[in-house]
Amino acid sequence: MISLVLFVAICIGSFSLRYLRGDSNRKTFFVNLTIMVTTVIVMVSADNIFLLWSAWVISNVFLTRLMLHKAEWKAAKASAVLAQKNFALGALFLGTALMILYNLTGETSIQTILTKPLNSEWQAVVGLLLLMAAMSQSALWPFHKWLTSSLNSPTPVSAIMHAGLVNGGGFLLARFAPMLLGQPQILNLIFIMGIVTALLGTLWKLMQSDVKRMLACSTMGQMGFMIAQCGLGLFPAAVAHLCWHGLFKAYLFLSSGSAAKEKRLDLDYPPSFKDFAKALFCGVLAAATFSITSEKHLLVADTSLFLTFLSLIAGTQFALPIVRGQSGIKFLAGAGAGILMGAFYGLNVYIIEWVLAPLHLSIPQPLNFVHFTGGGLLFVSWLYMLFMPDPNKRALPEWLLKGYVKMLNASQPHRKTITANRNEYQF
Amino acid sequence: MQKQDFGDETLELPLIDDCATVESAVEKSWSKIAPFWPLKNLIAVNPIAGFEDLPFKEALVQAKAYFQQTEMPAGMQEVNRQSIKWLQAFFDEGQATIKMPFKNAGLFKSTLSLIRFDSQIHQNDEHKINWIKQQPNEPEAFIASALSYLKIEQHDWDLFLSLMLTTLPGWAAHIQYKANWAAGSSSAEQSEYLAFRLALTCLIWPDAKKLINWHKNALNSANQENTYNDIFSAELSYQYKLLKQFGDYAPPQEQKKPKAQMVFCIDVRSEPFRRAIEAQGNYATYGFAGFFGLPVSISNPVTHESYASCPVLLKPAYNVAQTPDEANQSNVHKHNRLTLLKKLYQSLKYTFTTPFNLVETVGSTTGLWMFARTLAPRAADAMQAGLKKTIAPDFHTKTDVRNIPLSQQIGISANALKMIGLTENFSPMVVFCGHGSATVNNTFSTALDCGACGGRHGGPNARALAEILNSKAVRFGLSEQGINIPDETFFAAAEHNTTTDDVEIYINEKDLSPTLSGHLKKLREALKAAQISAVQYRGGQIPAETANGSNLRKSVARRSTDWAEVRPEWGLAGNASFIIGPRWLTENINLEGRSFLHSYEWQTDNNGSLLTSILTAPMVVGQWINAQYLFSTLDNVAFGAGSKITNNITGKIGVMQGNASDLMHGLPLQSVFATDTTPYHTTLRLTVVVYAPKETISGIIAQQAILQKLFGNGWLHMICLDPTDHKKYRLVRDLGWTHIN
Repeated sequence: MISLVLFVAICIGSFSLRYLRGDSNRKTFFVNLTIMVTTVIVMVSADNIFLLWSAWVISNVFLTRLMLHKAEWKAAKASAVLAQKNFALGALFLGTALMILYNLTGETSIQTILTKPLNSEWQAVVGLLLLMAAMSQSALWPFHKWLTSSLNSPTPVSAIMHAGLVNGGGFLLARFAPMLLGQPQILNLIFIMGIVTALLGTLWKLMQSDVKRMLACSTMGQMGFMIAQCGLGLFPAAVAHLCWHGLFKAYLFLSSGSAAKEKRLDLDYPPSFKDFAKALFCGVLAAATFSITSEKHLLVADTSLFLTFLSLIAGTQFALPIVRGQSGIKFLAGAGAGILMGAFYGLNVYIIEWVLAPLHLSIPQPLNFVHFTGGGLLFVSWLYMLFMPDPNKRALPEWLLKGYVKMLNASQPHRKTITANRNEYQF
Repeated sequence: MQKQDFGDETLELPLIDDCATVESAVEKSWSKIAPFWPLKNLIAVNPIAGFEDLPFKEALVQAKAYFQQTEMPAGMQEVNRQSIKWLQAFFDEGQATIKMPFKNAGLFKSTLSLIRFDSQIHQNDEHKINWIKQQPNEPEAFIASALSYLKIEQHDWDLFLSLMLTTLPGWAAHIQYKANWAAGSSSAEQSEYLAFRLALTCLIWPDAKKLINWHKNALNSANQENTYNDIFSAELSYQYKLLKQFGDYAPPQEQKKPKAQMVFCIDVRSEPFRRAIEAQGNYATYGFAGFFGLPVSISNPVTHESYASCPVLLKPAYNVAQTPDEANQSNVHKHNRLTLLKKLYQSLKYTFTTPFNLVETVGSTTGLWMFARTLAPRAADAMQAGLKKTIAPDFHTKTDVRNIPLSQQIGISANALKMIGLTENFSPMVVFCGHGSATVNNTFSTALDCGACGGRHGGPNARALAEILNSKAVRFGLSEQGINIPDETFFAAAEHNTTTDDVEIYINEKDLSPTLSGHLKKLREALKAAQISAVQYRGGQIPAETANGSNLRKSVARRSTDWAEVRPEWGLAGNASFIIGPRWLTENINLEGRSFLHSYEWQTDNNGSLLTSILTAPMVVGQWINAQYLFSTLDNVAFGAGSKITNNITGKIGVMQGNASDLMHGLPLQSVFATDTTPYHTTLRLTVVVYAPKETISGIIAQQAILQKLFGNGWLHMICLDPTDHKKYRLVRDLGWTHIN
């Protein structure tokens, strides 16, 4: 974890050295960045609950200071205030949870606390408070507004935020995983909140027309998925997601200046059913290789099957552009690509799981109705994007139009964080 | 007359008479708005071109009142918030995967059919929802009814409509581009946009009439005396220095034939390079608009891309194809391979569910790539280029000019040679050198490319002209017009990389005779040497680069490939003068990369037609560029894009600041400022210097309304170096001349 934080910090620090050249707040930026990175390192390695809480709070304070790069710009100030309020709420949730644990056990070490038996009511209360803290930190619905309104920050701040502190929720749940694993109800709730955000975030991402808000909504969706993985009892998988998504998103933010040059290609949807069937076959191969390389059991009906199911969807989607058309070679290539992708995907997940294996954080849960519903929604929404009717060829029903406007509005940044009069912007 | 309910109010639809007045008010309001080009080809324009009918000083006052107000009524700000939201969605060109419905119906109709669901706009007020449903779909009719609903008196119509535009100026500028300059443009966009703004205003801020007084107060308190004086004194001191350097400007004695003649774009960045290459030996250089007089579009049959590559004032008349000269089919195949890879990525990224797997699959690789690009940008760039080469290798292309009829090829090339002043005394090698920038992760990269080529690279145009002039048939045609090109003269094309000062010559060595190969080898060496000295000069101007010698060259190369670089080159910053005349006039002067240089020989321009072309086309473009740099520096918030560090590209067309803002038209802070507080560019108007008899110049101005406007209103300075009496004259506001001592 520490090496990941340092890795990202080095990349973004070096980037900012050139990116912020000539900026009047460059020095302040680097001071804030250094303090934030240090406290994040303390946070991820802390075992003492008070140290954890202090590091959590201080790093968030310095994150908002980084976000508020130019205090004279009113909209940026409003963004920072919004984030600050959200983090204060999160600190309150976390603080209360930790205080309860301290009062019940008299211990300050997380390791020790986790070994102490707690009564189930208190466990549930603490579990809920931790979930709320995680949700506010990781911008889960309905705590997402601060994140979708955070783009008044300089690009490198967004990059380090999306690779760093936004993931705090996943980190927190993984830290207290042993306690949560004993509570199927709480896990279900975690899963539900995760999936709701995963769907909302992805939907909003697909609707945005500016690159940075698209990335922010996308992060929101990814955080939802990460938390959902926690809800499945697959904490190491959630940590793997945290790491790899962080790097990916940091990269996308840093390269957001090129967004106008990315040419969107026509993916020619909907595919024919025959092509789809061929791709689906490749997807099955991908899922099979994924389950082999990541050592997931294919035939056991527990939550690890959920990830295998998703790799089936991804494998299908991946193979689809390759297999389309009549050629048999294309089909073979698609199958190969599916296998390759499944293997690579599985390997990446496996690396992190292997690192975390000694902690015994992965306890797949029995599959239940909630998991099937969640998986079903992910599947249907994916299918809808593939086979969606062309809106230009067909009149859209009123509920869809209504839904479009509602979702567009919901994904807007907080009104105070919009620069409505251009001349209020300050550099 | 039809009546409509809106709460307690009734709204009357206008009579026919009003429509005519509405139409003229719409037209007048739009005349204040200058266009703004999208990121794919940023063309420099004067952001207050709408006020060029006024004297410069008065225009500054108007601009302050219209565009630079730091306070704005809260109601209007709310209208802006909602406008931005819908404009972003409607004008998106490929960012959103789920697109706004009804986009085909036009801005007004489509938003009207969606805002009835928009509770942020109607606040769930039944009256308002019904009002929306009852509005006429026709923008013009709606504008009239909205004006009467808002109780705007008829004499205030055009002012009020103007304010609907100038309170969100960047978006208005984009619409102005869509209406007048984009492919398939239509002025209908203008009334669509006004109707859209008015509809939101009626719903959100029915008291919008207050805007009129807000503006009148702003106008009364707008004072630009100091701003004007600063600009004026900067111009005087620049001109004083410049004119002193010209000295007595005596024509030189007969010179021997140069080893090679090179024609560069008039762009200010050519000047230091021309000085550098001239210093390498007997090389003659010329300045000409970088599209080389070819009104063409350039197409690529492999990628199926096509774009206009000529000044935006012209419409391309012919298409020039750049076709692969090797086996076409295999190149198409390889190109498709690259497209498929991109498709795989996009298909996983832009849908539900699969992005979760995507990030886990590629996260580790992306992390390493981020590390490489940040800590070793040059190596990463080389690696990326290598990888691209393996997947889809670049292919040599041939420039196919067959679409231009022979007679036109002759006409175009004859005209170009005459404009350049190169009609005799040809060297064995004549090089047309276009230019383009090489930067990465740079939102504003096209602002660094060739303005004469419509914000593109100039190489293809150079290649087309060289191709034409190497044709025997064309040379025969030219000889009939008295332009005799010796058989041994070879025309070559090249491109000047303005970021690194590298010059690439497009040549197939196999086509060359041994003598020419020798010339080419020497030229290449000279260009290499010129690059070193030009880099010393230009690269050293970027702050925080204290290194020199080879380190400086490395750092220039790094800037060109570094994704973290916000100042890869200075572009046209510093531009201050436009000099029209033969090269000997400026040959021994260090113009500091601040001058556009256009070649011109007054003796061969009998009726002044060549000078007329120069003054009405390239010089006007020079003025656009100059005004853009001037105003972006003067107020980078109102007329520029603000700092790159918080830019957010919307719809792939332009940038906003942060979460959401107006479309920030103009140049970013980092293009004109060395630091947040220190401008690099000097705010001054362009000084045009012409080496020609003042009577000729006066005669041309008398016939050209645009020149009367620009010079008469003081948007430019004109100084005449009169070859007939060897005196210097300044053109004054009443278009007469005063002698400068």
